[in-house]
Amino acid sequence: MSILVNEGLWLLDNNIDPYVGGAFRHSPLLLSLFSTIVPPLPIIWALSDAVGAWALLRIWRARQGLSSLKGTGSDVENLIVSVYVPSAYFEYAPNAPHSYLLNPYLLLPSLALSTSTFENTLTLLALMFASEGKVSPALLAIAFAVHLTPSSILLLLPILMVLLSSPVSHLASPRPFHGNLKRIPFLFGEFTLYWLVLVGAACIIAGGSWNWVRASWGASLMLPDLTPNPGLWWYFFTEMFDHFRPFFLMVFSVHLVIYILPICIKFQHDPLYAAFLLVGVLGTFKAYLTLADPGLFLSMISLFPEVHGYLRHPIITTLLHLHAALLLPLQHVLWVSEGRGNANFYYAASLVMGMAGGAGLVDACWAGMRIAVGDAKVGAEEKVEGKGKVMWEVVQQ
Amino acid sequence: MRFQRLPQACLLLLTCFMAWAVGSSDSTASTGERAADFFGRHDSGSGHTNNWAVLVCASRYWFNYRHMANALGMYRTVKRLGIPDSNIILMLADDVACNARNKFAGSVYAEAGRHLDLYGENIEVDYRGYEVTVENFIRLLTGRVDPSMPRSKRLLTDDRSNIFVYMTGHGGNEFLKFQDQEEISAFDIADAFEQMWQKKRYNEILFMIDTCQANTMYSQSYSPNILATGSSQIDENSYSYENDNDIGVSVIDSYTHYVLKFMEGINKTSQTSMQDLFDSYDPVKIYSHPGIRSDLFRRPLDKTLITDFFGGVAQAEVFPLQDIVGSSNHHDNGPSAPTTRKPDTPSVPVVLSTTVISLPRLTGETHDWDNWWKEVRKWTSIFVVGCLVSWISFVR
Repeated sequence: MSILVNEGLWLLDNNIDPYVGGAFRHSPLLLSLFSTIVPPLPIIWALSDAVGAWALLRIWRARQGLSSLKGTGSDVENLIVSVYVPSAYFEYAPNAPHSYLLNPYLLLPSLALSTSTFENTLTLLALMFASEGKVSPALLAIAFAVHLTPSSILLLLPILMVLLSSPVSHLASPRPFHGNLKRIPFLFGEFTLYWLVLVGAACIIAGGSWNWVRASWGASLMLPDLTPNPGLWWYFFTEMFDHFRPFFLMVFSVHLVIYILPICIKFQHDPLYAAFLLVGVLGTFKAYLTLADPGLFLSMISLFPEVHGYLRHPIITTLLHLHAALLLPLQHVLWVSEGRGNANFYYAASLVMGMAGGAGLVDACWAGMRIAVGDAKVGAEEKVEGKGKVMWEVVQQ
Repeated sequence: MRFQRLPQACLLLLTCFMAWAVGSSDSTASTGERAADFFGRHDSGSGHTNNWAVLVCASRYWFNYRHMANALGMYRTVKRLGIPDSNIILMLADDVACNARNKFAGSVYAEAGRHLDLYGENIEVDYRGYEVTVENFIRLLTGRVDPSMPRSKRLLTDDRSNIFVYMTGHGGNEFLKFQDQEEISAFDIADAFEQMWQKKRYNEILFMIDTCQANTMYSQSYSPNILATGSSQIDENSYSYENDNDIGVSVIDSYTHYVLKFMEGINKTSQTSMQDLFDSYDPVKIYSHPGIRSDLFRRPLDKTLITDFFGGVAQAEVFPLQDIVGSSNHHDNGPSAPTTRKPDTPSVPVVLSTTVISLPRLTGETHDWDNWWKEVRKWTSIFVVGCLVSWISFVR
């Protein structure tokens, strides 16, 4: 969501409830953070991006099974070393940090001081702590993320599964989930506890009223604000009759939720990949989509180099994203600033964005499953009877 | 096991809930009181929020050209001073501009040189021709109109409306002739005004009438907040001002001419008072003795602005909320001003199109206590979150 924090802060300073008018849709904790400890300076966003990149690096290392104790240098040293020593590149510094920091989809919201940067950072921190096996920090981070954006609840189950198993890649060798399922209720209870504490802290700053719940979380469910965004919801609901609104709001919300179980069951051998796919689902079908959401999905692809070879149409996904990235600002300017276009132009561009996200998601699903099937190895038998017989053998890699 | 820390966790939750309960005891003043503060009367102003005008020309036929011009001149003046067409009810026989005898077809002039066309292209006549009747006039004033009457022909006033009622035509001792067919008497008008007062359809009325023996028409009024003025006394005629030789008839009445001439010097921000207008009456020039009736009017005439009735200007006073102490003293019906801060000069009327100078704070008292409490709340929530984060990072 865009930067309305300044408006909220001003309203708070003037003793006007920020949640009454519908101008402010963020959590009250952001208000309290930015009005007490630090004002909303751009450096905060830069730090948040840096933390996110660092978290991505740590997830990579956990997935590769590299413990952080290995080696003599710290992460930063290794990062610098990797620039000069190519062989060290893939051990200490994969594409992950570069793909996060240089991704234009992530850079632009950060420049625009959008709070989606914080949501991405918290998601990555949750995944990082989960990959490293630290239960409580992971649950706290995901509780924070859910507090900021309720749609992040999609990631709760994969994170629990990562906590119970391991983040190491098992894509190529699927097996049933080997973690202790009985611990899931306890972990969920702990997550609920942290979430309730955050809700309590938010209520304290909001002065005991519950307006903020409806304004911040209710916005994702009720879609009161139909400001155009790169997502797919807003246009649909501008042309919706009020009679059907509750039904379609339910459909769109359920649409997000129904992906959780199938993806987690199918990829139970590699829950980190399941989390990655659910990030992709969020990045395409979220209520108030920003550029940072598909951006996170694209950056996280760098965590899974093993599937890169099995992607069927990466070039098409890339071109669709390029297409959307060029069209979206163009049509927005044409519609809103110049008045020569109309909403349909921008909606078409957002449809292209949706297609790009969908293409990437489908391709990632395919690759994640295809890698389990293995490669075919062609072998040639020796000449028998003057004819060479070509033999196909499936080899698991 | 993990559950060793469960009691601590429950304690933390309990403190959070207690803090929330304490925080929710922060009370705010009711919104109704704050709105009443904002809109209530804070000085000796008129307290009106909108202006209406009812301009009636009760004559028809070519030789009553001047009555049409009277009404149209008043129409132009009130429009110029800001009353919109939606708030003006213009009742004319409207048979002059396109009359076969009108050498200047489609135009109505109010002075001999024909410099200013009052008919023009965009006047809005609400009741024309045979619709100008006594019954329609009284129905208009009292609001008892047929449901089929369109909104543009209704007087949609409320208890904060200042109404300027102007009537012109042929009249006599306590009567006014409507279109050569019927009469309306001073008693009818007085009763209509009283019905309006009972139904809270006006805040103040300025009743101006330009006929023969006009002052008798307002003599029977008995409702409060009515300021009345007429062009001539009993047993006195009102005379026309001048003829135009090309039009061939009298083009304006003398009383109305001098009033309009006075009005030409007024604009929307003018501070000229009604007393100035009444002081400008010159019985020698007008050839009759204009009258004023202000006993029903509760405000002093030198504090009543012309634009209170003739213009569409509301007085807006914007002041910071700290200066209102105690929201309970301001429910009033009288002109007393119990604010702690009184403006030293009469408040400048702000034309409705300008932007508000300072943003009013519509929430409760901005005491230091409130600010301090807000700071406490903010830091408490940060503290709670910080505790949680540090507990998790160091203990678990």
